[in-house]
Amino acid sequence: MQSRRFIDRAIKQLFFLAATLSVLVLLGIFGMLLMNGIKAFEHISLTEFFFSSNWNPAAYGKPSYGIVAMLFSTFLVTFGAMCIAVPLGIGAAAYLAQVAQAKTRLVLKPIIELLAAIPSVVVGFIGIVMVGPFIAKVFGLSNGLTALNGSILLAVMSLPTIITVAEDAIRSVPNSFKEGSYALGANQWTTLTKVILPASYSGIIAAIILGMGRAIGETMTVLMATGNALAMPHGFFDPVRTMTATIAIELGEVPYGTTHYYSLFAVGALLFLISLGINLIAENIAAKYRYKA
Amino acid sequence: MRKHSHLFIVFFFGLYLWSCTHQHGQVENLIIKGSDTEVNLALALAETYMMEDLSISISVSGGGSGAGIAALINGKTNIANASRPMKAEELLLAQERGVNPLSTVLGMDAIAIVVHPQCPIKELSKQNLGDIYRGKIHNWKQLGGPDQEISLYGRQSNSGTFVYFRDSILQAEYSPKVKQMNGTAQIVEAIKTDASGIGYVGVGYILEKNGNAAKGIKVLAIKSTDHTLAYSPALLENIQQGNYPIIRPLFQYTDGKPKGKLLQFLRYCLSEEGQALVQQNGYFPVSKMYQEQNELALNTTYAKSSLH
Amino acid sequence: MKTKLQVKDLHLAYGTKKVLKGITMDIPENKIVALIGPSGCGKSTLLRAMNRMHDLSPEVHIMGEILLEGDNIYAPGRDAVDVRRKIGMVFQKPNPFPKSIFDNIAYGLKIAGQHDKQQLQEVVERTLKSSYLWEEVKDDLDKSALSLSGGQQQRMCIARAVAVEPEVLLMDEPCSALDPISTAKIENLMLELKKDYTIVIVTHNMQQAQRVADLTAFMYFGEVIEYAPTEELFGNPQVELTRNYLEGNFG
Repeated sequence: MQSRRFIDRAIKQLFFLAATLSVLVLLGIFGMLLMNGIKAFEHISLTEFFFSSNWNPAAYGKPSYGIVAMLFSTFLVTFGAMCIAVPLGIGAAAYLAQVAQAKTRLVLKPIIELLAAIPSVVVGFIGIVMVGPFIAKVFGLSNGLTALNGSILLAVMSLPTIITVAEDAIRSVPNSFKEGSYALGANQWTTLTKVILPASYSGIIAAIILGMGRAIGETMTVLMATGNALAMPHGFFDPVRTMTATIAIELGEVPYGTTHYYSLFAVGALLFLISLGINLIAENIAAKYRYKA
Repeated sequence: MRKHSHLFIVFFFGLYLWSCTHQHGQVENLIIKGSDTEVNLALALAETYMMEDLSISISVSGGGSGAGIAALINGKTNIANASRPMKAEELLLAQERGVNPLSTVLGMDAIAIVVHPQCPIKELSKQNLGDIYRGKIHNWKQLGGPDQEISLYGRQSNSGTFVYFRDSILQAEYSPKVKQMNGTAQIVEAIKTDASGIGYVGVGYILEKNGNAAKGIKVLAIKSTDHTLAYSPALLENIQQGNYPIIRPLFQYTDGKPKGKLLQFLRYCLSEEGQALVQQNGYFPVSKMYQEQNELALNTTYAKSSLH
Repeated sequence: MKTKLQVKDLHLAYGTKKVLKGITMDIPENKIVALIGPSGCGKSTLLRAMNRMHDLSPEVHIMGEILLEGDNIYAPGRDAVDVRRKIGMVFQKPNPFPKSIFDNIAYGLKIAGQHDKQQLQEVVERTLKSSYLWEEVKDDLDKSALSLSGGQQQRMCIARAVAVEPEVLLMDEPCSALDPISTAKIENLMLELKKDYTIVIVTHNMQQAQRVADLTAFMYFGEVIEYAPTEELFGNPQVELTRNYLEGNFG
């Protein structure tokens, strides 16, 4: 009896330690990003960093450190990905949760989840040899390594997240809502769009935001598939270089302790803050929705 | 008893280690680190050399020119391979740490300019090539080709090729419209599908064994000035005779004058046997100018030099 | 006395499990009919068969007919949506949609194509008045229906069902989750509504059946054992099984 209580307490302590550790790791990473990132501003003016669209730290002449173009590129690619993934994802989630027969669902669900297991480098390769040339052909471009290419690939990559979370949200809508709607003479489509989807609204928003976080943070795929040109993009048919791609490309060989080195940490810190913000919003909305359900 | 068995294992393991190091007298370890361009070549050289001299163990790793140079500065490697010369700030940092980088040239890497087979252009001057990548020439029409926006492909800024091409061909900033590709293979793939594309890649990468260029791309002939002849890198003699103008040295950096086994290995790299391996790996023998520089560094003489 | 709803030899099975075994009963217009019986006797199943709620469960098989004024609601080609518009339902647990009170009531009309604001407002007011909820909520029509108390929610659900003006109202233990005061209010409401509607109610509560129902059917193991005017069934049951049940010997 005594020893069981001791084990109980020990296990509790162990879990507490694990939780604390992960929080500490998170704080440590952010602290490290911030400490290194701040040093960049000893030599770069905040105005240049946040308002110049010219990023060229390894310049032949004077290096420049403006993040506007890559910030815009990141948002452009992510926005495009969401435009594709949100309707598809919610449609698929609604189908799985409400329409599909148990057998169909049993087959489809694992396949969708498997989509998340494809390594991003493989997705990027598909972007180079298949999706990119296809885009070039359809839109009459000289090449398909564009923001649109990245958007399509990121959409595919964020679909599993969106579908899984949205399906849970839709599934958790009480059956009584559905019955209530049918009893008033609604058909399946009306019930879905007028009652079930609005009732799972916050869960679906959470799904979208989590998918968005996945898309913003993705590196390898955009690095390979979007052309990585430094110029400010004018639309989805221009090549772009995102924040993640910039860090991945340049951190590999940047001399330690230089302004360039610290500036990449500043970009990383900003990316971290954006991701953190997105996750907090998702967390918030999801909490609200749990309370409601 | 169990504790004792552990002791036994430790004892025998120690014995084993001891016997390893004493089997052939003293074995010396050499570390080579750096350029990804050179890593396969360095491996081939190291492996062949180790067969001939059992008293040396050479480990080779890549990571990029910058990584190799950083390792040399930090005293973590004997040889730093670099496909570009050291930068001023790297030299400064080395001096601060009491390291004296000394370069020898291992071989030459010619860079080919490739376009889509449909592109009617056959040759370019270095000047035109620079203008294309600087963004000054942006339509094939300006070079007598079709009215088509030129689509630029290059390497990423962490590549030695990126730096070499900028510093020796452009001597200015790249156009921001250059698509920075993640490796040579991706440039080739992109050019195959882009009728308006142009890219730069190592010659070794696109030449097949019979000397023809890889399928689906076209290699341009390059002339130094508008008044000289254009030479294609697809012909070996153009490179060997020094006529092809886009060619860069591949460096091996050491800390100060190499001695002992290190010197022997570097001499081997520059020997006929070593240079044959350089060619087998798609690169070219050290050019005349750099041969003299190497002689100064190693007190070695070309062609006549042998292993010992 | 006109027959509104006629159940004819209705059989129903969940997969291989037979739940209803040949139900036949007539439900007269403008009356309240109560279905009573022990748990699992099939009374809720029968009620849900009356507006084709079982269509949602693919494993349910139904044989037999249910006639609404002579038309079989299970006839091939008959639209379940149309059936449910004529035969409304109120559920055991109040199930307001997570929308405003106004939108809850107007939902049935809106999906039927009624979008005229004026018209909707009139219906919402009228139905809320008829369910004696108007005075309590008239200033809060834009508030979420989820903010109402349980009893208010259930009365709103009745109002919502009434708003589409069905011919028959099915109620599945509508008071089981409510306190006595709310229950009384809903029972009064039912008596009021029977002037315009035909009502079928499933209840566990014998007193409730006696208070509101004109006719009562006692069901046992998927069969209607006895179906008679409420006073007769409770006062002088003809079947031994019914007597035993009413005396509380089982169930």
